[in-house]
Amino acid sequence: MTAALSKTVILWIFVAAVLVLLSAPTIVILGASFTSGNIITFPPDGFSFKWYAKIAASRDLWQAFLRSVYVSAICTIVAIPVGTLAGIALAKYAIRFEKSVQIYLLLPFTIPLIGSAIGLMLIFGEARILGQLWPVGIACCVINLPFMIWAVTASAASLDPDLELAAASCGAPPLSTFLHVTLPAVLPGVISGALLMFILALNEFLVSLLLTDARIVTLPVQIYNSIRSIITPDLAAISVVFIACAVLAIALLDRLVGLEIFLKSK
Amino acid sequence: MRAAKSAYPLRWRIMDAMEAFAAFIWPARFGRAIPWLMLAPALLLVGLLVLGLIQIGDASLRTLDTTTFLMSESYTFANYQRAFSESLFAAIAWRSLLGALIVTVITLILAFPYAYVMVRTTSSITRKLLLIALFLPFFIGQVVRAYGWLIILGNQGMVNEALGLVGVAPIRLLYNYWAVLFGLVQYMLPFAVLMLAPALMAIPEELEAAAGSLGAHWVATFRHIVLPLARPGLVGAGLVVVTLSLTDFAMPAILGGGSQDFIANAIYDQFFRTSDQGLGSTLALLLVAVGSLLVGLVFTVFGAGTLAMGRARR
Repeated sequence: MTAALSKTVILWIFVAAVLVLLSAPTIVILGASFTSGNIITFPPDGFSFKWYAKIAASRDLWQAFLRSVYVSAICTIVAIPVGTLAGIALAKYAIRFEKSVQIYLLLPFTIPLIGSAIGLMLIFGEARILGQLWPVGIACCVINLPFMIWAVTASAASLDPDLELAAASCGAPPLSTFLHVTLPAVLPGVISGALLMFILALNEFLVSLLLTDARIVTLPVQIYNSIRSIITPDLAAISVVFIACAVLAIALLDRLVGLEIFLKSK
Repeated sequence: MRAAKSAYPLRWRIMDAMEAFAAFIWPARFGRAIPWLMLAPALLLVGLLVLGLIQIGDASLRTLDTTTFLMSESYTFANYQRAFSESLFAAIAWRSLLGALIVTVITLILAFPYAYVMVRTTSSITRKLLLIALFLPFFIGQVVRAYGWLIILGNQGMVNEALGLVGVAPIRLLYNYWAVLFGLVQYMLPFAVLMLAPALMAIPEELEAAAGSLGAHWVATFRHIVLPLARPGLVGAGLVVVTLSLTDFAMPAILGGGSQDFIANAIYDQFFRTSDQGLGSTLALLLVAVGSLLVGLVFTVFGAGTLAMGRARR
């Protein structure tokens, strides 16, 4: 009995430490955003919404936020069809050179982010499309694509191939089979993948830093630039926007597919 | 005529037309190529990265002419010589490699119990809370999290203010190596736990119960049953953490304050401070090589672990 107790205690000491480590920045930012003082202090200087009023009036910050949303939308819209088709193909078919295809499709993860970002910056520069926002969306899509493919293959793997054969033997042409049998089966994966792509693109920093110029910075880059000069509570208030988006994404993900999907062993 | 129309609704007609169109552009005899057709967009998108690498390779062979600020027309290996001979780059590379290793060890030690409790807990509420605590920072992004640490650890930050209340003089907690590593561990924890959890999920709980009933202490069970069986997850998690922290930009830049540059920061500086594309590209290519080497090494020694996609992982 004491052995079981010591196990529980030791494990939970670790868990508690990790919980503090994971949550401290979020909680502190939330607290700091409501301060009524001009600098961030501890204990906080009373409660006010004045920094929220300030960011609401700041055109720069809102435009940067809208640009971030635009980039994430492009990224997600491209990633959904591309990742879904690739995921189904990988899960369903025995492809020649499958190992090589897999290694190739994992390139966005094996190539360091700074390498991908600089490579994309060079070819976008060559193509004269630097300084626009949509290439940033494409770039975010490329570097996070494996997440989308994983999500889809995970749910496609549970699709019984006999179902498609059954549909076909009942007279469904190939496209109908795909739309009515295959696609609904992988839908949870598509949804979770798309959410992941959106939220990762919304937070993407390094690629945006390299691919945007001063006119079209996205919100993470805007925050980074302001951090370097001075730390004021308005940055905490705008950071709360990210926290709100994260909470929303988690709630959606949990509602639509359940967070436990990420624990499933494949 | 009307009757026929209602018996065969518009939706079906549209589907028919789409089927006919699909059959026209992709006749059944091309069937064998269907998987490749489905993969094509993904292959093309990732191809952008390959093109980028080729561009980097090309730029790395050109030197910067400091009088005209143009890249040379002819190819040389001068940049590579500089990258390997200048002690600044060796120091930065060493700092990043050592940092990545320390971060990986600490992250795995912290993430393993967390993933284990999350997987094994019988309470679904506990599991959900642990998952939410994991996803929240994961979804918030590096810059915002680093900003949180600035508030906590800064010279007028929470920790120092709290220390001041009990009469301790402020300590410089930021802008040093340990601040960067600390930030990196926090950044990597969600990745590590999410890579470990499926591997732990695959270990039957009965195995641990069996070991326990045969008299094994839980520490022994952990060491001899859980850890070895969790190896694929540990490999996947370790790999992801090493490469991501080795190549990170934001944490060294924000928490290191310019004095604790990692490789990515050095590359950035070459491109945007000194404007030496050639040397920057050389460093970037070397980093890609080191990263791929690490990944390749671990893949060949341990297998792909939880990183594999599609059929191969079943």
